[in-house]
Amino acid sequence: MRSSDTAWHRLLLLLLLGFALCGIAQAAAPPRIELTATPAWQGWSRPGRSTEIDIRLSTDTTVRATLEVLAGRQTVRSDIELQPGRVSRLHIPVGSVGTGAVTVTLTVAPEAGSPAGPPERRELVIAQSESPLLGVGRATGGPVGFEGFHTVALGAPDLPRNASAYSSIDVLILDAPTLGALDQRQLAALLAHAAACGRIVLLNADAGVRQALEGAGGCGGHTLMTATSLGEARQMLGSSLAASLPTAIAAAGLAELSRPAQATWNRLAVALAVYFAAALLALLFFVAWPVPLLVPVLAAAAVLALLHTVPPPSQLRVWSEGESGAQVARYQAWQQFSGQLRESLRVPIPPQLAAAAQPCDPAQPMRLNFDAARGQVASAEFETRLFRQVRLCYSGSFPMARALTSEVRADGLREVRNAGPAAWPAGLLLAQGKVHALPAVAGGAHTVIGAVVGLPPGGALARTAMARVRPDPDGVAALWPLELAGVADVSIESKGWLLVSAVPR
Amino acid sequence: MNPALARRPAAIGGLALAAAAALWWMGSSRLALDDGSDASHKAAGALVALWLVRGMALALLSLRAGVLRGWRAGAAQALGLIAPSWPLVVLAWSASTAALTQVALAEGLLLAAGITLPLVGHGLRRLLRPADLAEALATTLGVGLAAALWYLRGPWSLPTG
Repeated sequence: MRSSDTAWHRLLLLLLLGFALCGIAQAAAPPRIELTATPAWQGWSRPGRSTEIDIRLSTDTTVRATLEVLAGRQTVRSDIELQPGRVSRLHIPVGSVGTGAVTVTLTVAPEAGSPAGPPERRELVIAQSESPLLGVGRATGGPVGFEGFHTVALGAPDLPRNASAYSSIDVLILDAPTLGALDQRQLAALLAHAAACGRIVLLNADAGVRQALEGAGGCGGHTLMTATSLGEARQMLGSSLAASLPTAIAAAGLAELSRPAQATWNRLAVALAVYFAAALLALLFFVAWPVPLLVPVLAAAAVLALLHTVPPPSQLRVWSEGESGAQVARYQAWQQFSGQLRESLRVPIPPQLAAAAQPCDPAQPMRLNFDAARGQVASAEFETRLFRQVRLCYSGSFPMARALTSEVRADGLREVRNAGPAAWPAGLLLAQGKVHALPAVAGGAHTVIGAVVGLPPGGALARTAMARVRPDPDGVAALWPLELAGVADVSIESKGWLLVSAVPR
Repeated sequence: MNPALARRPAAIGGLALAAAAALWWMGSSRLALDDGSDASHKAAGALVALWLVRGMALALLSLRAGVLRGWRAGAAQALGLIAPSWPLVVLAWSASTAALTQVALAEGLLLAAGITLPLVGHGLRRLLRPADLAEALATTLGVGLAAALWYLRGPWSLPTG
């Protein structure tokens, strides 16, 4: 009886030990993660242009992880939660990739009872084409070439979900099957690219698609073309390339519309003046030597405290342009952050401008925090210091409903008509090198300009606007201030403008 | 002149030096802000100028002060020369790319020199008779030290950008 009990006890102990070891082995195994990273456009881009990395992640257990995509001097970071049996996809926009090398790293956060395991790393190379890139998405047919262009054959999965990634491609030809295979996000990005005057030829697009895209193209719709054959597509492209498109306003041009960031400088000038006055008074009235010594120490602490308590100033400038009657206006925005301290500054990106956010200076090291749920950049982090100005550049398009016509009457006065249904606010009219005040006009109504002689462009705003208007007699445009209350935080000093080219009658 | 000021020529000098450096640095930073260029170069320049000028002034004054007035008075005078620039050093460091350890080390060296040099002067006074000889030697040594600092100013320079 006793020996049998002992044997049972031993067996039980062995079983328990076995289970415990199995448990330890189970707990000690790091999660198995599969990471695939594929660049858009078959891995092609051009120097200084943005692109996109399509990342697929799967795991055998629920884990929290951090994904980092390093391209040039920018890092895009995203905190994600992976679920077993589900493939997570992220379409990460990357700015200028410099030498073309992109590193994707996934680091699993360590959790109780399970080790994190080594980070998963993938190295990608983005081929940098010196020639303009022609992207051709054709389900059938042979290769397509166009003189002076490097052709990249594309399938629907090669097209990006971020509009900013379209800057890699100079001309795009898509046929109906490829267009039909695009998902909603790809279509939205394609439409945004069309609105930003991207040259696109739709090959054999059906009537429904043509109708859906009508009015979606920017630059008067000249860059969104439909063709029934490859020959016609080539011909249309040739004509389109022969005509020059309005260039995007440069960041320097936008910077001219802002005032230099002097608020911090002014505060410090006052603080230093107060300090020197206090130090002189301390020397005059205190005999004990520690007092004049204490004043600089206290002043240094006070100056640091002042810089810590005052929020860093920020300016946002938005410049948008459109053609009379177009459904969309394209914009370029510029946001400047003035540093006050040696610190790592984290700034939120306005969601309305997050479609294409990147540092204006590609050499600026920056970390962009990507919100995987919303599929866009949520904030930016960068090192700053006193008097350092870091700038973010944004671009994209927004819906617009402004239509105006302009005509010079027999008496020499200019009649400007609001051809749309909605009223305009007051703005400026730019015509033949002169700036006129443009009153608010109700929908369908008109106003007469020229009773008072227009002024030559004086300020930076008028100069910038005039430089964007065609110099010929038909070059007439209206400039209105943009309402940015919904875009920027109240703490940001923001200004924006909309320039709409008139249609001559 | 106010008697309190007359008693503290080094402190007045230190304050005047800090004010001049502040004027130059704030002016050049304003110009850099207006044209959108990098202001950190000017901040690094201000830091180096403050270290060099205070170092040279310490060399010239503190040894003699140790001989003439003893090391405690000499050290107090040296502190009066060094300290008024501290708020400006903090600001210029914030605007520069200099490492905090480098700035702290330089200020620490200046403080150490501000205590050591009067002590050396005091020692010279005790070792050498008559006092005029000690003063002459302290002055010569001070000028030599200041000249050496000027010629060896390369290592004081800071990375910029």
